[in-house]
Amino acid sequence: MSQEAARDAAAGRPVQIHDPTLRDGQHAVRHSLGAEQLRAYLKAADAAAVPVVEVGHGNGLAASSLQVGRARLSDDEMMSIARETLTTSKLGVLMFPGWATTQDIKNALAYEVDLVRIATHCTEASVAERHLGFLRDEGVEAHGILLMTHMASPDQLAEECARLVGYGATGVGILDSSGHFLPSDVTARIGAIRAAVDVPVMFHGHNNLGMAVANSVAAAQAGAGILDACARGFGAGAGNTQLEVLVPVLERLGFRTGIDLYRLLDAADIAGRELMPAPPTIDSVSIVSGLAGVFSGFKKPVLDIAAREGVDPRDVFFELGRRQVVAGQEDLIVEVALALRAARDGGSPAGSGTGSC
Amino acid sequence: MQATGRLSVSVLGAGLIGMDLATKIMRSDCLDLRLVAGRHDAAELRRAARRGLPVATGGIQSLVDAEEDFDVVFDATNASFHAEHAEKLAASGAMIVDLTPSRVGQMIVPGVNREDIGSHRDISMVTCGGQACVPILHAIARAHEIDCVEVVTTAATLSVGRASRLNLDEYVQTTQDAIRWFTGVEDVKALVNISPARPAATFRVAMYLRGRDLTTDSVRALVTRAADEIRTYVKGFGVSVCTVNDSTAFVSVEVTSSGERLPHYAGNLDIINSAAIQAAECYAAGRLALAGRETA
Ligand SMILES: NC(=O)c1ccc[n+]([C@@H]2O[C@H](COP(=O)([O-])OP(=O)(O)OC[C@H]3O[C@@H](n4cnc5c(N)ncnc54)[C@H](OP(=O)(O)O)[C@@H]3O)[C@@H](O)[C@H]2O)c1
Repeated sequence: MSQEAARDAAAGRPVQIHDPTLRDGQHAVRHSLGAEQLRAYLKAADAAAVPVVEVGHGNGLAASSLQVGRARLSDDEMMSIARETLTTSKLGVLMFPGWATTQDIKNALAYEVDLVRIATHCTEASVAERHLGFLRDEGVEAHGILLMTHMASPDQLAEECARLVGYGATGVGILDSSGHFLPSDVTARIGAIRAAVDVPVMFHGHNNLGMAVANSVAAAQAGAGILDACARGFGAGAGNTQLEVLVPVLERLGFRTGIDLYRLLDAADIAGRELMPAPPTIDSVSIVSGLAGVFSGFKKPVLDIAAREGVDPRDVFFELGRRQVVAGQEDLIVEVALALRAARDGGSPAGSGTGSC
Repeated sequence: MQATGRLSVSVLGAGLIGMDLATKIMRSDCLDLRLVAGRHDAAELRRAARRGLPVATGGIQSLVDAEEDFDVVFDATNASFHAEHAEKLAASGAMIVDLTPSRVGQMIVPGVNREDIGSHRDISMVTCGGQACVPILHAIARAHEIDCVEVVTTAATLSVGRASRLNLDEYVQTTQDAIRWFTGVEDVKALVNISPARPAATFRVAMYLRGRDLTTDSVRALVTRAADEIRTYVKGFGVSVCTVNDSTAFVSVEVTSSGERLPHYAGNLDIINSAAIQAAECYAAGRLALAGRETA
């Protein structure tokens, strides 16, 4: 499509930017963001008029754990800081059924969060029925979002999204949790979902294959009304869609974000300075993780365990991909690493063995 | 109890858990399946009727109105109904075995507290993850100083019915409660994943325990013994990893199903139902011994 044609197609259509820098970025720093870091970025994002800002542990409410890492700040601390700091931006939180419960949602509502996103794996929308129903009854805006969506076809995702709307979601969407998609994959999926629901559709990109911005543009052009993006791409593994790149690109294409460019760039500079030792890069392991279709958040635990057990982290990623692990199954990393080591050494895995141990 | 010395048994709830229970009851020497009750004329019930099982569609009312009193009722519905079911059955004197994570009855994990079965009218089989982790955590916590415990369960999508999906909050709370109660450790967290993988992922439970005095040798010995005990009633129970690093023990187990009608990956259904059958058979043995003494 020529640039003029693209602009005509966008025709000033608004796209709402949802900014999970302070939630997804936690994966890159082992969930260690502190109060001052939160305040600094919240203030800057608020000043740039970013519509929604999300805070939390990398895996959302109540997810601080040995399995994925314990957070420096509690959910209560993060939500209370955000509530105090934000003046115009809405406050969002994320919740995975099975990791958090309705009780955790109630706790979040005490901080007057504006938007709760309920996340399930690609084909498991039905686990969100109860939580979306609860939020509908409470009159709180609630979106249903699907993870690991490269594991499901466009039609399956459309069906699951329709289900989410039936449960009460006022917005639905898909996450490219592994950074596996190419733009045509996104176009097909967003198109199918758009045809199945009449609520705004969201896309959340990961940058493992360098496609996050291109995929997000494809999503917008296929009719997505909400795009996730993080300052400096702060996120798991190779990072997410880079916020301060995506916004001006969307504007040039004729979409409207309502975000102030200079203030957005200032917020990104603050994020770069205050939140991270270095911005995420697409290193070799992240490329493998994207190719293998493994959740980007596995990067740090895979590197730790592969180093401890003396195996190649790339082999670990490909084997995890073969087993179709999903976000939340970090416990499989050790088993896979031990099995690879045993296969290499020609013995039975130390510390493993079915039957006894 | 019947003249045959078998207990008359019914199953309430004709979903994944309920239908596998029915199959397992049919194989039991001391339990006699007299009724499977759903709450409407569902396809599962019709299939069960074709297999020759006695079925009814009136839910709890079908049990209350039945001509006979049941000795044991398995509740395989949804946690939010269990208290009501237990109340309606109270007058009948039935022993209720609860498969839902309602947290109403006495929690039973056969490998750990079998002896509590006889003294309660409503027993809770905790959760599938609870049945897999409690014996191991209990054994380690008795021998070591444990600061915190975390348990992550993964079950395959096809093995998780709608009621289970609606009961995820209760799953988390009940599993945490059980770990606290059986181990005495306060800092406890339970998580559950439902895996969309195809071919389906085998049921899996991973445990983390933090404690300064943990050693690989000690933990392995304790885990091996606990796993051997569980295998006496859950054949497909296997330990896949058992390591100690940086004062943290990591133990993961997989359960494959050995039930004839269950797919091999559905260890979640197999372990809780096998534990429930164990509990009912223990109760039957107790009743039989008592009846023997009374007639003697
Ligand atoms: N699947 C597992 O891995 C697993 C393991 C351990 C424990 N559990 C627990 O076991 C219970 C059943 O789980 P499931 O996976 O078997 O779910 P399921 O397949 O949905 O089965 C539940 C069945 O109970 C019926 N039911 C619900 N409420 C009822 C009521 N009030 N009276 C009569 N029947 C009723 C449902 O019928 P309708 O079609 O009318 O709803 C359905 O047939 C849940 O509490 C779950 O937490 C499940």
